[in-house]
Amino acid sequence: MTTAIKIEGLTKRYKDVTAVEGLNLEISEGELFSLLGVNGAGKTTTIKMLSTLVKPTSGDATIFGYSVLRDEEKIKEIIDISMQETAIARKLTVEENIEFYGRLSGQDKAELNEVKKVIYEAFGFEKIAKKQASKLSGGWQRKLSIALALISKPKILFLDEPTLGLDVIARRELWKTINELKGKMTIILTTHYMEEAEALADRIGIMKDGRLLFVGTKEELFGKTGKTNVEDSFIEIVSGGESL
Amino acid sequence: MKESLSRIIILTKRDFKEILRDPLSLIFTIGMPLLLEILFYFIFHGLTSQFEMRYLAPGIVVFAQSFISLFVGLLIAIDRSASFLTRLYVSKARSYEFIFSYALSMIPIIFVQSLLFFLAGGLIDPSIFSINMVFAMLISLVTSLLFIALGILLGSLCNEKAIGGISSIVIAGQSVLSGMWFPTEGLNEGMITFMNVLPFRNATQLVQNTMNGINDVYKDLLIPLSIVLAYAIASFVLAIVAFKRKMKSN
Repeated sequence: MTTAIKIEGLTKRYKDVTAVEGLNLEISEGELFSLLGVNGAGKTTTIKMLSTLVKPTSGDATIFGYSVLRDEEKIKEIIDISMQETAIARKLTVEENIEFYGRLSGQDKAELNEVKKVIYEAFGFEKIAKKQASKLSGGWQRKLSIALALISKPKILFLDEPTLGLDVIARRELWKTINELKGKMTIILTTHYMEEAEALADRIGIMKDGRLLFVGTKEELFGKTGKTNVEDSFIEIVSGGESL
Repeated sequence: MKESLSRIIILTKRDFKEILRDPLSLIFTIGMPLLLEILFYFIFHGLTSQFEMRYLAPGIVVFAQSFISLFVGLLIAIDRSASFLTRLYVSKARSYEFIFSYALSMIPIIFVQSLLFFLAGGLIDPSIFSINMVFAMLISLVTSLLFIALGILLGSLCNEKAIGGISSIVIAGQSVLSGMWFPTEGLNEGMITFMNVLPFRNATQLVQNTMNGINDVYKDLLIPLSIVLAYAIASFVLAIVAFKRKMKSN
């Protein structure tokens, strides 16, 4: 399998706080890798370093061979990101948001029409295309936010807490959408919803205080902790074996 | 270069739509100043000279521009807080492209403000119609750069909640320190000096002087123009630095 992301000793320090320390990890092309951790574990900082938004203090990571330190432009051509906030143009309609982002990604009219068709179908946007984004429900806004990240047809998609703050129905709908994307691109998903990682991820990484404590499949996680679900296994790992 | 220009146009169109679809921005940048122009003229124009239309109309044009600071700042602060800018940053857009787009998206509104307030003034008092009115409209585009730059700077520094309060300093500064709403003759020298070193009175006087004819090129045009441009350039430079830093730290 082709390596999509290779992380070697990636570290980020802010003055006296170490957000990420000595991260080493390889992620294969087409894999859905989930980074789990409590707030402040370093998940978002890791994603920001991989997407070239934040410069690492030391170490390096390559995205399909391009270094985050030296090849910012090349990396931006093959990645996209959906942050934990709903990042949409609120006063534009759904259709205008998609057109705006597509044009910004350098797509011509024909390409854009094709992408629009695919996105409308995948996310069910047909009936809300002319609605202003600010007037949509939270679930639809988040769907739009994720859809925008797909317009540039990225090889790697970063989803930072994609279902944060959504109700259970909207969350399940979004899981379905993310599941449909599996295999079509490499997805790095951060979350602190354990059941989300359990339902979606091919492999799981558990972070605590900027360090990666575990990497493996669900089965490997259960084998290591002796537990039967991700939540119990996660607690076992981050509490260092001391049950809470 | 071509790609960059294309991105600036795409971003500008979006910024313009966001502003235009916010009814509050239209009320504050166009509706309210127009109402003030009409009301203040009819209530006060016989009392003091600054409410004669030849002073009031250019004063209102610059006063209305101070609200541009609020709305451009608000747009940037909201874009930042929702990570919208972070997302766009991943899409190859550059800091200077964002700044250009925010500034350019305000130009049509500033043009409409200028045209509308001068025309309304001319309809009320036709004696102000002259070629100088056209020059005053053009020079008001220069003063608008000051308020656009201040808005971008504040939007880069403040969050969505703070921007309203902080921008009101610019609006209050323009109201109180421009001298357009009260006679400045009775003020002490220290206060006058303070008003003269800040850009607000200079911006108002620049447009008022252009409207009423330049008698002394140095005093009536070059000095206020230099002060306004100096503040505008300094604000733009600071805005670019602040914007870039925030983009990276967000």
